[in-house]
Amino acid sequence: MVFQVSHTTSYDYESYVTFCHNIATLKPKTLCGQTLLDYKLEITPKPTEITERVDFFGNYITRFSLQKEHKTLKVTATSKVSRNFEAQPNIDDVPTAKNITLADALKALKSNDEAIIDARQYILESVLIAKISPEIKAYAEVSFKPNRSIFDAALELMQRIYTEFDFDPTFSNVATPIHEVFKAKKGVCQDFAQIAIACIRSVGLPARYISGYIETIPPPGKEKLIGTDASHAWFSLYIPGFGWVDFDPTNNQTPKNQHIIVAWGRDYYDVPPLKGVIYSTGSNKMHVAVDIRPFNEVK
Amino acid sequence: MTTDLNILFQNYFSKEKNYDEALKSDLTVNPNWKKLLDNVSEMDIKTLTAKQNEIDWLMDENGVTYNVYNDPQGMQRSWDLNIIPFIIKANEWHTIEKGLQQRAELLNLIIKDIYGKRDLIKKGIIPPEVIFAHRGFLRQCDQIQYKTSKHLLIYSSDLARGPDGRMWVVNDRTQAPSGMGYALENRYSLNRVLPNLFKDINVKQSSGFFYDFNQMLIDAAPQNKENPSIVILTPGPLNETYFEHAYMASLLGYPLVNGNDLVVRNGKVYLKTLKELKQVDVIYRRVDDVFMDPLELREDSYLGVTGLLDVVRNKNISIINPVGSGVLENSGLIPFMNAICNHFFNEDLILPQIASWWCGQEKEREFVFKNIKNFVVKRIDRSNRESLFFCEFLDNNALETLKKDISANPYRYVAQEKITFSTAPDFVKDHLEARKVLCRTFVIAKKDQYQVMPGGLVRVAPERENLFVSNQRGGVSKDLWVLSNDQEDNIKHYAWDNTCKISISDINDLPSNTAENLFWSGRYLGRTLVTARYIRMILNRMSDEQYDSNTSSSESLVYLLHALTNITSTFPGFTGKNNEALLNNPLKEIISLLFDKNRLGSFAQALNSFNNSYYSLRNLWSKDMWRVFDSIKKLWTKFEQANVYTIPTVTKLLDRTITRLIAFMGLIEESILVQQGLLLYFIGLQTEQALMQISKFRSLMVFNYDERLQYDILEALLSSDESLNIYRYSYRSHLSLENVINLTLLDKEYPKSLTYRLKRIQKDIDRLPYTENIGNQSNCQKLIDLANAKISKLNIAELMILNSDESLRERLDAELTELSDLLHETSLSLSGTYFNHSYQQTQLINQNFPLS
Repeated sequence: MVFQVSHTTSYDYESYVTFCHNIATLKPKTLCGQTLLDYKLEITPKPTEITERVDFFGNYITRFSLQKEHKTLKVTATSKVSRNFEAQPNIDDVPTAKNITLADALKALKSNDEAIIDARQYILESVLIAKISPEIKAYAEVSFKPNRSIFDAALELMQRIYTEFDFDPTFSNVATPIHEVFKAKKGVCQDFAQIAIACIRSVGLPARYISGYIETIPPPGKEKLIGTDASHAWFSLYIPGFGWVDFDPTNNQTPKNQHIIVAWGRDYYDVPPLKGVIYSTGSNKMHVAVDIRPFNEVK
Repeated sequence: MTTDLNILFQNYFSKEKNYDEALKSDLTVNPNWKKLLDNVSEMDIKTLTAKQNEIDWLMDENGVTYNVYNDPQGMQRSWDLNIIPFIIKANEWHTIEKGLQQRAELLNLIIKDIYGKRDLIKKGIIPPEVIFAHRGFLRQCDQIQYKTSKHLLIYSSDLARGPDGRMWVVNDRTQAPSGMGYALENRYSLNRVLPNLFKDINVKQSSGFFYDFNQMLIDAAPQNKENPSIVILTPGPLNETYFEHAYMASLLGYPLVNGNDLVVRNGKVYLKTLKELKQVDVIYRRVDDVFMDPLELREDSYLGVTGLLDVVRNKNISIINPVGSGVLENSGLIPFMNAICNHFFNEDLILPQIASWWCGQEKEREFVFKNIKNFVVKRIDRSNRESLFFCEFLDNNALETLKKDISANPYRYVAQEKITFSTAPDFVKDHLEARKVLCRTFVIAKKDQYQVMPGGLVRVAPERENLFVSNQRGGVSKDLWVLSNDQEDNIKHYAWDNTCKISISDINDLPSNTAENLFWSGRYLGRTLVTARYIRMILNRMSDEQYDSNTSSSESLVYLLHALTNITSTFPGFTGKNNEALLNNPLKEIISLLFDKNRLGSFAQALNSFNNSYYSLRNLWSKDMWRVFDSIKKLWTKFEQANVYTIPTVTKLLDRTITRLIAFMGLIEESILVQQGLLLYFIGLQTEQALMQISKFRSLMVFNYDERLQYDILEALLSSDESLNIYRYSYRSHLSLENVINLTLLDKEYPKSLTYRLKRIQKDIDRLPYTENIGNQSNCQKLIDLANAKISKLNIAELMILNSDESLRERLDAELTELSDLLHETSLSLSGTYFNHSYQQTQLINQNFPLS
C-alpha cells in the first residue's frame, strides 16, 4: 500500500524574526515493511542553509536556518511511503518470544549480545520519562508479572491505557510531565505512548517512542477532509529473541499498514517533528495540518 | 630573628593524626620538606604573620576573587593563598607525570570510542549503562569527527596522597577545568611576597606550559589557519571562576566573550563586533557542555551559541574541550579503568584510584548494601555535595532511603572506599596546622603527546577535621612546588610574551557586548560623579546655613532639593504632594538617594550598575584601576558598618568618594586604548553628564527668582560641578544668569559646558566604525549633528526672555528639552546600531525540558 503524507507546520510571528535555526524530524525511515519512495521538504521563506544527517537513533534530521527577517514560517514535508507490514517479522511466528515471561526476559537482557546492549539503553530514564513514580510502577505491575508473557502484558497495558485514559487535546502539551498526565488520566497519543513506556521501563524492560502518522478512515459515506489528520505517536517493546514490537495505545491496536513510522527515540524529546530557536521579541502562533491518504486517491 | 620549628608545630595535629606530608609519625621532619621549613623558620612568627597578611592583601588588591553563591560575604570573595606551599619531590613527580599522561591518553581513547565505534561497550569492557545513563553522554555529539590529533585537549585531575604513600586520582575534570590561572597567580604572588621561601630550592616553573597552551589553541584551528581567531567563552561575571576567565583572556590576549557575542551564520561561527561579523576559529570555553547550544542541547541556555554543534560537525570551528567530554567526569568508569587501560595499552594504571564498586552490577551492589556504612556513595554523573553520601554519618532512615534510590536506578551509583588522605602544614594565625589537601593538576595535548603542568593548584580543607575540600565551599589554596634536581631559572614575569599574541588591534573588532558594557560604564560613572557632587554641594549648604525650611534664608535650598529629585529622576521625592516632612528633614531622603541600592536613580544603584559592567569588562582594566575602585567600595562598606549618618560624616564620605572617582576616571583614560573601546566609554560618560546637566539647568535656571535667591542658586549650580572658580576667572564679576548660561551652556572652549560636551560626543561618534548597510551617515550621527546644530544657533538674548507673567523662561526650557530628547534618541540609536540586542533568543516551541 502506498501513502502520500503531507505535514505542514506554519508559524505566524507577532513581530519580525531576525533569524532562526531549526531542526526537523519529518523524513520517514525506510525499514523492513516500509519504504520511503519520495520525500520533499518545502520551507518558505527559503532557508539560507539546509543540511541533512542521520542522528544517534538512525533518524533523518534536517537542520536549516533562515537569516533574513521574516514574519511567517511554513514547513511542508511531503512523503510517499510504501507500507507492507506482512514483510515484517511477525511475533506470531516466534512462539518462544511471544511467550517469554518477564522473569526470563529480564534474565535474557543481561546478555552482552550487541542487539541486547543496544536495546538496554531504552530501559534507562530519559529526558521526559524520569523519576518514574511508584504509582506508575504499580500500574505496570497489574499487567507485568514475573511468570506472564511480556507480549500479553504489553497488549493488556495498551488496552488498559486505551480504556482508562481519556483522549483530551486540551489537557496537555509537549511540556506536560508524564506524572501529571498519569494523575489526570487524560492526554493525547504522545502522552499515552510515554505513560506506557514509563510503565514498561519501571519493570525493567526496554521501550521506545515512535513518532509517525496514522491514516484515519472517514465514517462510511463521508468524504475525508484534507488536513484533519495529525502526527501520531505510539510505543514499542523490545522482546528478547524477537526484537521490537509496536503497540498503539491511542487506538488500541498493534500497528499494521495504517501506521507510518517517521522516527524513534527514548521519548518525544529525541524526535520532535520541528523545533528551533528564533530571535524575536514577540510571541507566535502555530498551526499544524497533516494529511494522509492512499496515493491513488491523491488529487 | 628565627622561629623554633617546635613552636611552629605546636599542636600541629588534632586528635586524629593522619599521614602527614611534612612530619613523620615520630615527629621528625620529612627530608623533602627540610629546606622549605628551614626557610620558614628563618623568619619569626611576626614576619610570617605579616607575610600572610601581605599575601591576603595582594590577592585582594589584585582582585583575585572566587565567586561563592549565596555567600554572606558577598559575591566576590577574595582568593585565599596560604604562605606554606605544598611540595612534591622530583622523582615522585616523574611518576605522577607519567601517570597523568597515561590517564589523559586513556580518557582520550575512551571518549573517541564512546562517540565513535563503541567497541568498549560492544566488547563488554564498559557496561553500556555507565555511558548511556550518564547525563554527560550527549547523543547529539555521536560520530562527530575532529581534526585535532587528540579528542581531549585539556585534562585536569585532582590528586591526593593515599594510605600507601602514593598519589591517588580522586577526580577527573574534562569539560572546562578551572584552576590553571589561579595556579599561575598563586606562584606569582608567593614569589613576590616571599622570595626567601624559594632560597636554595629548585622549583619548576610553569611559564612554558602556558606557552604550549597557547600553541595548542592555535593548532586546534580548522584548516590549519596560521592566524586563527580565538575567543574565550565565559558564562559571565556571576560564574565562580570568572576572575580566571578574565585572567586567561588578558594573559593570552584573546577576547573574552559571552554566548550572545557569538552567532552562527552560513555554517560558521561569528563574533559580533562593532563593525561587522568576524569569523571565529577556536573557542576556548568555560561553559559546561549542556549549555553550549540551545538548539540541540539545553534549550533554556543563554550561555551558549545557537546552532554551534552543527558548525562543529562541519569542522568549521574547534571547541576546547569538545562538547560532550563531560561524560568522562564519570565515577562509574573507575572500576573499569584498569581493564580499559589493559585493553588499550596492555599495562596497568600507573596512578592508583579509590576502590569503587559500580552498583549497576548485581554482585557489587549486594556487597555495597552489606557494607554500606564503610562507603562514600556517589552519583556517577554528579560531583556536588548533594549527590555525595558519607554513609558512616547517615542514620538508618537515611541509609534505607539511599538504598531505595540505588535500587530504583542502580546504574547511577558508585560506592567508594572511605579513604583518609594525607595532611600538609598550613599556616593558621601564628602556627602550623595539619590540613587535608587536594592537588589539582593540569594536562594539555601537545602534538600527539600530553604535557603536564609542572605545578598546580592545591586546595586545603577549611577546617582541621574537614573531609571535603572544595573552593566552591570556600577554602584556602596553596602553591604546588614540584622540585627539580636541576637549577631552575628565576620565575619569569607572568606577563605574556607578545610575540604570539593576536590581540584585538582595531576598534572594528571590538565585541559589541564589550562595547555596550563600556558605553554603560561611562554612563553609570558619569551619573555617580554628578550625583555625588550635587549632593555634596547640598550638604555643604545645609551645614553652612543651619538648615531650617521655615526660614527664608533656606528658600534656595528648597529649590536645590527639588532639583535633586529632578536630576536623579527619583520622583516624587522632594517634589511630591506631601513633601513638607521631607523638606523639614531632608537628610533622610538624601541618605536614601545615596545608600539605597534598590532605588532607581540613587548613587548606590548607579555604582552597583557600574560594578556589574565593570566586572564584565575586567580583562580590560588595569590593576591600579582595580585598586582604586575597590577602595571606593570598601569606603562605603565601612561607612555603612559604622552606621553614623550625619551631615559631616556623609560629606566626608562624599569628598573621599569624589576624589577616588576622579582618580579612577583618569586611570580609565590612560589604561584603555581608543581602539579597545575607550570611545564608547567616553560617549557614555559625556552623554550621561550632558543629560544630567540639562536636567540641572531646567530645574534651576528656568524659573525667574529674585536677585538674592538667584545668586544663591547660581552659586550652588556652579559649585555643584566645580565651575565656580572658572566662572570667577572668566568673568571676575558678580554672578549673573546671563554669564552662567554663557559659560556652562554656550562656551565652546570650556570642557564642562554643554556645547563642548555635545561637540565631543559628535566627534567620538564620528570615529565609530561604519557598517555598509547604513548609508554614508548613521542615524546616531544624524541625531548628534542635529543636537550640535541646535546648540550652536542658541542665542543668549533669546534664552533669557521671560514669559508674559515673568515667572519663567519658556524658550530656555523648550530648547533644553529638545536637546535632551535628541541626546536620548542618539543614545537609543547608538544601542540599536552597534549593540543590537533587539533580538531575543526564544524557543520556537516552549518545551521546557529538564535536560540535566
